[in-house]
Amino acid sequence: MDLFLDGLMNALTPENLLYAVIGVLLGTAVGVLPGIGPAMTLALLFPITYTVPVDSALIMFAGIYYGGMYGGSTTSILLNTPGESSSVVTAIEGNQMAKRGRAAQALATAAIGSFVAGTIATALLVLFAPKVSSAVVQLGAPSYFAILLLALVAVSAVLGSSKMRGFIALFLGLAIALVGTSTGQARLTFGSPLLADGIDVVVVAVAIFAIGEALWVAAHLRRRPLQVIPVGRPWMDRKDWGRSWKPWLRGTAFGFPFGALPAGGAEVPTFLSYITERRLTKHPEEFGKGAIEGVAGPEAANNASAAGTMVPLLAIGLPTTATAAIMLNAIQSYGIQPGPQLFDNEPALVWTLLASLFVANTLLLVLNLPLAPIWAKLLRVPRPYLYAGILFFASLGAYSVSFEPFDLALLLVLGFLGVAMRRFGLPVLPLIVGVILGPSLENQLTQALALSGGDVSTLWSEPVAKVVYAVLVLALVAMAVAAVRGRAARRGASSVEKEEVSA
Amino acid sequence: MTAVVVAYSPDEYGEAALAAGAEEASRRSIPLVVVNATRGDAYVDPHFADADTVARLRERVGEVEVLQEVVPDVGAEVVRVAQERDAELVVVGVRHRSPVGKALMGSVSQRVLLDATCPVLAVKPSA
Amino acid sequence: MSTTTETTTGPEGPRVVDRAQYGLAAFLAVVGVVVVVDATGLRPGFADQPVQPSFLPYVVGTALVVLAVTLAVATARGNVAEPEGGEDVDLTEPSDWFTVAKLAGVFLANVLLVDTLGWAITGALLFAGCAWALGSRTLLKDVAIGAALSLITWYGFYVGLGLPIPAGILDGVL
Repeated sequence: MDLFLDGLMNALTPENLLYAVIGVLLGTAVGVLPGIGPAMTLALLFPITYTVPVDSALIMFAGIYYGGMYGGSTTSILLNTPGESSSVVTAIEGNQMAKRGRAAQALATAAIGSFVAGTIATALLVLFAPKVSSAVVQLGAPSYFAILLLALVAVSAVLGSSKMRGFIALFLGLAIALVGTSTGQARLTFGSPLLADGIDVVVVAVAIFAIGEALWVAAHLRRRPLQVIPVGRPWMDRKDWGRSWKPWLRGTAFGFPFGALPAGGAEVPTFLSYITERRLTKHPEEFGKGAIEGVAGPEAANNASAAGTMVPLLAIGLPTTATAAIMLNAIQSYGIQPGPQLFDNEPALVWTLLASLFVANTLLLVLNLPLAPIWAKLLRVPRPYLYAGILFFASLGAYSVSFEPFDLALLLVLGFLGVAMRRFGLPVLPLIVGVILGPSLENQLTQALALSGGDVSTLWSEPVAKVVYAVLVLALVAMAVAAVRGRAARRGASSVEKEEVSA
Repeated sequence: MTAVVVAYSPDEYGEAALAAGAEEASRRSIPLVVVNATRGDAYVDPHFADADTVARLRERVGEVEVLQEVVPDVGAEVVRVAQERDAELVVVGVRHRSPVGKALMGSVSQRVLLDATCPVLAVKPSA
Repeated sequence: MSTTTETTTGPEGPRVVDRAQYGLAAFLAVVGVVVVVDATGLRPGFADQPVQPSFLPYVVGTALVVLAVTLAVATARGNVAEPEGGEDVDLTEPSDWFTVAKLAGVFLANVLLVDTLGWAITGALLFAGCAWALGSRTLLKDVAIGAALSLITWYGFYVGLGLPIPAGILDGVL
């Protein structure tokens, strides 16, 4: 508790408070704006980690993460186009509420629900992360290697319905991670000294998130303007509170554990929360026409999952979302390795970060309730400026890594890879996670085998590793069975249709 | 076939132009054509009318032709429609702008005033 | 990030083959082969090194080739990519690759000129050029915003972060 209070004091210094405010405002703005999300923003803001102290930078990044979750809900409700994938479900009821003149209540239950869920989930994070960390610290390299392997497979296979495309993205990421010098030997550098240090993760992240997205959008720009529903200051009456508080709590219960799971993310828990609320509601007739429960639950779930994501990130060094992946890289760029030792080695940093999550959450509520109408105005930014700005800051971010035009050229090449990935429906997350975790994977394997003197059986010598491999095998078998069944079902369906056609 | 063409946007300037245009059209007994165009470069354009606004507009001035287009240049679109319909008159709503504002923002009404090949009526919202 | 779904065209229409996807498969195969060939050129490490530097490249390269074959087979069977949608993306219109080419051209100009002209100038041109490529037609305003952005970021890096971005021909002026 003392550690936490110290952290809170540090988070509340004027300087850090300023970074939190900037982060929260920036996060909400990018959550509202089309085409730009928290992961891209963190990638673009990477240069600040060169000089800003690590605690301030992380406070700001955490503010952006939480703010992005909130901003996405604003566009979901007012425009029926979710700003982030985590707010897709919010749009179902939220936009219906807004169309029926209840935009203020929808925004209010989203904001207050996000606050409640964020606060509870952050408290859970404070309780659980150290416990997970002290459990993980006991693990040896073999278990660690197994967990990394599971995380990579989960991220590639679980998210998105095409496993093949997930693995294509993952292995492309691992291939990018290979570039550079390993144990004194140059791999995939093609003799160029510019590639000897490898490809900076910042350049990859900026290229895939920012350049890829901007070029992809440029090729498919939506022309006809959307209609935004005008809104005043969000508020709720007694009845709305009565209908909201239970969905908030249930949403939190869905969001936190899913956020903490590899490949959990925010999409699944928001969807589960919506289904649950629709089943439990006393007003089933309102669902589909603007039920407040359908906004309160999913919005609580997505913020709780953001807090849940921090558990594996801090305690194991495992990112489960794109935003967490960039945060991990930011922490590493300070020479700090997130993972089990973090709580022992950097207690001040960890507790400041945890305390700042509470601060960010409170700021979101205080700032965003009155600011909602202003956020809606942000949508009037002309797109040429929005995307030109993204390309500008992307170039600056990549250039500032080492002031080499070569990095800019690399940025363009990888940017085209980003476009191709979007064209062919390849998910982005496995690639980024592959680039970031590729080196750790090799390190843990080397460590494990070095300790055993090259005996491969050491890899499944630890109980945790055994369990993880069992889970991995089960998952792969389940996937194979599902694939075979799916094919059979499809064949069945098509033969039925053929009969109908011939009849 | 001739017409009165109104450059419309859902604000006080567009409403003033619409009111004046409707009056001119009925006085001359020729059709009224309402043009509401957008460059479509912003995610949301407050100058682009939604379906409800168009419905209310029809309630007020009767069954009129409303053209809603996404075009590179809103002023040029108004001029194009006026020429296509062989319009007798184009009506635009004008607002006061500082010289700097004009230089930076460009102006639909200025474009129409300079380029239109028929008389142009510039109206201001009644203060 | 949007999720992707595989759609197999049913019997109701002629089987669509996404030919461009063969290109992706070929690209994956090439990358995989390059990774493996590069790994064969690596000298073996120290004797007590349990994981040779060429181990992971072999795994990754092989996996990429296998995935390339899988993708090619799936494509031939009618597997169609589902392009990523988005809030600002309209997939009902045909792709506008001309705009992308213009943007890439502006970007390439920045790569070539940044050393000689410096970020303060090329950054402004980059912004204005991209805005123009994306359909803005207020050139004066675009250049003004671009210049403001590049100067602010230059001084921001210099004063705020203590990082002097190479000034190019403006060395001594800024």
